Amino acid sequence: MAVPALAQDLPAMGESTSPWKVDVFYENDTRFRGKDNTGNRVGLSKFRNTLQVEADKNLSDGWAFHGILRGTYDGVYQLNQDEYGKSAGGAVNLENSGGQMVGIPFLRSPTSVPYGQAPVNNASIKLLGGPLAGNAFGFNSTVPGTVANPSTGQGAVPLPYSPNQGLRLLFDRWGTNPNGVQVAVPVRPCDKDSRGCADFGGYGDLKQSELEAPEFNSRLDFIREAYVKKLFNLDDGKQVFVKVGKQQVVWGRTDLFRVLDVINPMDYSRGNIYDEMQDIRIPMWILQAEYRMGASDSFQDRNVSVVWNFDQFRPNNLGQCGQPNVIIDAGCTFRAFKTLWDYGGTVGNFANLALPPPTPGLTSGAGNGAFLATDFGPHQIGIRNVDLPDWKFNNTQLGLKWEGVTANGFSFSVNGLTYRSQMPSLHMINTGVTNMFTGAIQNTTDLIAFDLVYPRVNLLGGSADFQIPDANLAVRLEAAYTSGEEFTNTARRDGYSRNHVFRSVIGLDRPTIIPWINEAEATLISGQLFYQHIFDHEEYAGAYGQYGMVDWKDNVTGTLLMRASLMNARLNPQVIFARDFKSHAFAMAPSVSYRYSDNLQFSIGANYKFRSSQERWHYDDQRAANPFAPFTQYPGQGASPGSAGLSGLVPLGGFRAGPIGAAWKEDEIQFTMKYKF
Amino acid sequence: MKKNLKAHCLGSLKIAAACAVALLAQAAHAVTEAELDDAFFPYKKGMPSFPGLKAGMVINKSNVDQFKDILSPAHYKLVKDGWYEIPVAETFDMPLPKPFIDATRQNADKVKLGNTIEGYISGRPFPQQPSASDPHAGEKLAWNFKYGLNWGDGAIVYPFYWQYINANTGNVERTIKFEFHFLNFMHRVSNPPIPNITPNPSAFYRGTYVKVIEPLDLKNTQLLLQAYEDDTKRGEAYLYLGFQRRVRRLATGQTTDSFLGSDLMIEDFEGYNGRVSDYKWKFIETKSVLMPYYKHNLMKKDPVFKDPDGYAFIAATGKGQCMPDITWQLRKVHVLEGRPAEAGHPVSKRLIYLDAQIMTPSISTIYDRKGDIWKAFTIGKAHPDFHLPVNKGSGIPLDDSGSMVDLQANHCTMIRFRGEIDPAKNPATLFQVQNLRGGD
Repeated sequence: MAVPALAQDLPAMGESTSPWKVDVFYENDTRFRGKDNTGNRVGLSKFRNTLQVEADKNLSDGWAFHGILRGTYDGVYQLNQDEYGKSAGGAVNLENSGGQMVGIPFLRSPTSVPYGQAPVNNASIKLLGGPLAGNAFGFNSTVPGTVANPSTGQGAVPLPYSPNQGLRLLFDRWGTNPNGVQVAVPVRPCDKDSRGCADFGGYGDLKQSELEAPEFNSRLDFIREAYVKKLFNLDDGKQVFVKVGKQQVVWGRTDLFRVLDVINPMDYSRGNIYDEMQDIRIPMWILQAEYRMGASDSFQDRNVSVVWNFDQFRPNNLGQCGQPNVIIDAGCTFRAFKTLWDYGGTVGNFANLALPPPTPGLTSGAGNGAFLATDFGPHQIGIRNVDLPDWKFNNTQLGLKWEGVTANGFSFSVNGLTYRSQMPSLHMINTGVTNMFTGAIQNTTDLIAFDLVYPRVNLLGGSADFQIPDANLAVRLEAAYTSGEEFTNTARRDGYSRNHVFRSVIGLDRPTIIPWINEAEATLISGQLFYQHIFDHEEYAGAYGQYGMVDWKDNVTGTLLMRASLMNARLNPQVIFARDFKSHAFAMAPSVSYRYSDNLQFSIGANYKFRSSQERWHYDDQRAANPFAPFTQYPGQGASPGSAGLSGLVPLGGFRAGPIGAAWKEDEIQFTMKYKF
Repeated sequence: MKKNLKAHCLGSLKIAAACAVALLAQAAHAVTEAELDDAFFPYKKGMPSFPGLKAGMVINKSNVDQFKDILSPAHYKLVKDGWYEIPVAETFDMPLPKPFIDATRQNADKVKLGNTIEGYISGRPFPQQPSASDPHAGEKLAWNFKYGLNWGDGAIVYPFYWQYINANTGNVERTIKFEFHFLNFMHRVSNPPIPNITPNPSAFYRGTYVKVIEPLDLKNTQLLLQAYEDDTKRGEAYLYLGFQRRVRRLATGQTTDSFLGSDLMIEDFEGYNGRVSDYKWKFIETKSVLMPYYKHNLMKKDPVFKDPDGYAFIAATGKGQCMPDITWQLRKVHVLEGRPAEAGHPVSKRLIYLDAQIMTPSISTIYDRKGDIWKAFTIGKAHPDFHLPVNKGSGIPLDDSGSMVDLQANHCTMIRFRGEIDPAKNPATLFQVQNLRGGD
C-alpha cells in the first residue's frame, strides 16, 4: 500500500492525476564472524540499517518516473572498533626468516621484526659501502611530524611518518605465508589513518562516516534509481521505448557471477558476491532506447536496443581495506602498495642479501632459501597513481543489443559493448624510478612499482534461453568474447598483458516436487557452470617456480541453488553452493527466510567457506624479478630484469584464491529483519 | 486417439456396436439449430429445478445433505464442515455473444478429433450435447472449454486482489494486488482483427500477462504465459522479477507449482489452464448443479476493497472469510473428470463443473495424489449487463469473485476481480517478452 502522508508532500511533476506511489522499508542486517586465520575472534561484522524509499508516478504525456532512494548506516565501525573502526589493527611483526642465518653481524636480527625495524635499512646497507653507501632504503616509522628518521641517514630530508600501529599483515585473515613476502597494511578508516588511502574509484579513501553511510557521497549514491520512461507507439504497430536516468541495465541471465551483465559496476563491499545483484549493482546515468519491432513471419519477438552509459566512469567497488568485505583482498593489496609508495615500509622476507639462495627446482616458501625483512623508502615500490578516467565523451560507454524470440520459442540476444574495465590493471613504472640500492634515478623494468589504470574493453557476446519440456528444464546460456582486458603478467616487462577472453555460462533451472519437502510446491534446483578462457595465456617455468599470468588459463566455477517453498511460500529454506574448481575453494550458504506478513520478514543464514590447500594460491611474488642487477640477481639470473618465479601467497594469491578462497575464515552467521512501513 | 479407438474396436467384436456409435460421434456433421439451441440457450424451455430448492433459501450444514447431488464434493464438504452457507437465488439466462454462436454455426462441421483437434476455426468446437456413449465426450468438453469465451477475445482484470488467509485464525497472511491481461491471438470472434492476430509465427493461441502491483517484495513481478495453438506443445513462460530486474525463462512444469505462494497453481487459472493433452478426460454426466452466478450490482460489497471511481469488490464470508459473499443459482452443468496424464503431478483428479451455456468451469473439486479431496475452487460469474458500463452488452460472463480453499491445510486464497472487456487495454504488444523488460 502507498504511504499517503509521505506522498502528499512530493512535488506534482506534471499534470497527471496519478498520485505518487511510495513504499518505504527498513532493514537490519546483522552478522557475526568467528575466528579468522590468526585466531582472532572477529565478532560483529555487520550491523547495517537500511532505509529505502521507492517512489513511482505517472507523469504527463505518457512519461512515468521511478525512483529509489537508499540510505544505510552500518554500526559495525562503532560497535566493533577493534576490528573495523578507529582501533583496528595494531603493531605488526614481519617475518625475517634469514635473520639468524646471515653471516654479516650488523644484519643479524630476530626471525621476526617489528614494522620499521627491518635489518635491511638505510644504515645497515650503507655499511656495506661502495655504491650502496648512497642507498635509499629505510623509512620513518619512529618519529612523528616532519623530523627525518635518523636511521635513514638522509639528514634533514623530511620523511612521511608511518608508525607501527593500526596495521595488519596482508592476507593474514585467510592465509599464512611462511618464508614468503609479508607486507603490512593499514586497516583503519581513512580519517583515522590516511596511509594508503587513495580514490580507487569510489572507495579506498573513505572516512569512517563514509564507510558507515556509504550512499551519501559526491556521486549521490543515495539515489539508487531515478529515471523517466515512455513507450512511443508508432503508426506501423512498432514501438520505441525510452528510459533515461540513473538506473540498472541488466543484460545477463545469470546469478552470483556475471558474463554479459557488465554495464553497471558492482559494489562488492556490501556483501562480497553473496548479496543480491540488484542491491550491489552501482546504478549509472544511462540512456536506453529500444526499437520494438514485435513479431515477424519468422520471429515472435524482435527488438534492437541502444544503451549509452553517459555517466562518469566508476569501477567495481572492491572494498576498502579495513571493511568487513574486501573481495579477493584487492582493496588491501592496493592500500598496502599505496602505503609502500607514499611512506615506504617494511616488507618481510624480501632480501636474499648475504644468505643462502633458494634452491632452484624446489618449491618456494618455507625451507627453501632464507630472506631478510627490508625497509623500503618512499616512492620506490608500490602504487604511485590511480588513473581514473575523467568524464569526457570518449570515456562514455555504449552498448547495442539485438534480441528476439524465434517461432519455436528460442529466446536469444546478440550483444556488443564498448566500456571501461571495471577491474583495475596495474602497469609497472619503468622510467625514472629509484634504485634503492644506489639512490639513483634510472629506468628499469619488472619493478613492483605501479600505476593503476582502467583500460577500455570491447565485448561481443550473446545469450539464449529455452526450455526442455520433457525434462522440465529451463536452460540459460551466455557467452562473451572481450578484447582489451588486462591481466597481471610477471613475464612481461611492464607487469601486465592485454588478452582476449572468452567467458560462458550454462544455467539449468528445474522446479522439482520433492515430496518430503513439500508435495504441493516445487523446490527450485538451479545450477550454473561458468567458464573462462584467457587467450594467449602465458606461464613459464622459472628457476624457482612458475611466472607469468596469475589468472588461470581456464577456470570453471559452479553454483547450485536449492530453494524450497513452504507455508504458502512464507517459509523459504534455501542453500547455495559455489565451487571454484581451480582454486579448490568452496562456499556453502544456507538460509531460511520467514515472512510473517506483507510488511515483516525475518531471515537467518550462514556462510561457510572451505578450501583444499593454500599452496594452490601461491604465485610469483617478484622477489626474483631482478630490476636492479647486480643487487637483485639470484644465482643463474643474467643482468637483465625478469622474474625467476620465486613464489608465495603475497601479493598475488588473492587473484589465485578468487572471491571464495580469499574469504576463507570469513564464515558468518546472519540475521535479517525487514519491515515495510 | 482416433487411431487407438479404431484399433480397440477392431480387436473386440463384443463391443462393435458401441464402437460404431463412438466413431460416428467423432465424424463431423453440420450442426443443427436444435443443437445450437441446446448448447447456447439451455433455459429456453424453462429453468431447472431440484426438489426442496427455492430461491431465497440458504443451504447450510443442517440441510446440505438434501442438496448433495447439486453440489461438487468439495463444496458439499465446505458446507457440511461449516465453512460456508450457500444463499440460493433465481436462475437467469446468460447468452453468449451472437458472433460466437454464429461462428459455431459456420464452423462446427469442420471440426474433428485427430491427435488433438483438427479443422477448428472459431466458435464452440463441439456444440452437440455430450453423450455418455461417446468415449470422447470428455475430451470434446475439454476442447469446448479451451476454446470457450472466458474473457472473450481479451480483457483486463485490474485491480485483482488475492488474499492468502489462514482459515483457522482468519489471519490474512498476504494481500497481492495484480493486473491480469488475457488475449486470444487466434479464433477471435468479436474484436478486430478477426479471426487471428498476425504475424504470429509461433502460432500462439492465447497469452496471459500478469503484473504484481503490491506488496513491495513482489512489486513489478511480471509473468507472461504463451499457450500454443498446437496442444501437443508445452506453452512458454517468462517471469520478470522486479527485484532481479531481469526476465527468467520458466520451465513450464512450474505451472503445477504454487503461484507466488498462493493456493493456486498456474494450471488452476480460470478453472483449468493446462493443455487438453495434459489430462485424460472423462464425461461423467449432465445435471443441474448450484453454480456461483449472480449480478454484481446486487451483491454485498467489501468495505475495504473499493476503487476511487466507486467500483466496489465482492465481500467475503464464511470461515476465515474464505468465500465470496454471493448468491448461487441452479444451472445446467456438464460434469467433467480429468486425471493427469503424467505421474508425479500433484493432483490425482479434477472434477470440473462446466456450465452448459457458458462452458466455463466455475466450480471444481481437486483431489490430492492420494485421492482425497484437497481443494475447492470457486469462480463467481457476474452477468456483464449488471457490471461496469464497459462490459454491458459484451455478452461475456465475467469472473468476478472466487476462492481456492485448501481443505486439508485450512488455508485459502480469496480473490476479487475488476474485469473489463476492453480491447484498448489489451494490445498484443503487452504479450511480448520485451514488454516485460521495460518494467521497473
